[in-house]
Amino acid sequence: MKNLGTKIRIQRQSGHTEIKLLVSHPMENGRNRDSISGQLIPAHFIQKIDLQLNGKTVVAAKLGAGVSKNPFFTFRLKQTNPGDRITVRWIDNLEFEDNIEHIIE
Amino acid sequence: MRRRSFIKSFFFSFFATFPAFFKAGSTSALKSAAPISADRSVPQVKSLFGDRTLLDSTDIHIDLPEIAENGAVVPITISTNLERISKLFLWVEKNPTPLIAELEFDESAAIFVTARIKMAESGFVTVIAQQGEALLRRQKWVDVMQGGCGTG
Repeated sequence: MKNLGTKIRIQRQSGHTEIKLLVSHPMENGRNRDSISGQLIPAHFIQKIDLQLNGKTVVAAKLGAGVSKNPFFTFRLKQTNPGDRITVRWIDNLEFEDNIEHIIE
Repeated sequence: MRRRSFIKSFFFSFFATFPAFFKAGSTSALKSAAPISADRSVPQVKSLFGDRTLLDSTDIHIDLPEIAENGAVVPITISTNLERISKLFLWVEKNPTPLIAELEFDESAAIFVTARIKMAESGFVTVIAQQGEALLRRQKWVDVMQGGCGTG
């Protein structure tokens, strides 16, 4: 497992709060072959992403391997207040997972 | 003669409806609990929604390049101002695994998402939005120059 990192950037804009999410993840669909050994690379992709606002899920995404490598997502929340806690967590098909938290200033 | 045709039609309808039941059951299970599988046999849109009508709606906005140089990374933005949208389904028909994402939104989230998706070849990208019990659809064609590896 190399370098599975998760980053979020949150920006309060007029009318909404924008959440940008970048995960370093291979998103292998199981149909690609290793260029050297010729062996199939086993499927390895994020299956679920949860975006939570103060502990409540606001966006729940189920993903397939059709999402590009190193997935990048933008979501918008209608309203947030300073002190609100935003959590993003994901889990992949090999049960690796990560979560990241951000408090709005 | 009449009786024979009756029996015939009975059997036909029996076999025609039962696989449909079976399919509907398995896809609703997919919708509720199971994550999207990696395998090829993901059901087509039709079996995902059964015979439910899809209404075409221009109020769903999809931003996509008309021509995608690299099918491994196609940026997409989906947004709508429609009320009561609870779910979005993102479907790329030509991919080996067409169902790319299923997103569920709470009321406090705006219906807005950007992502980067893989496309195996030129074809329609379909977004289906669930509004109450209704299903709304918007499609957009993308020409893919190079599907290449890593797609699907």
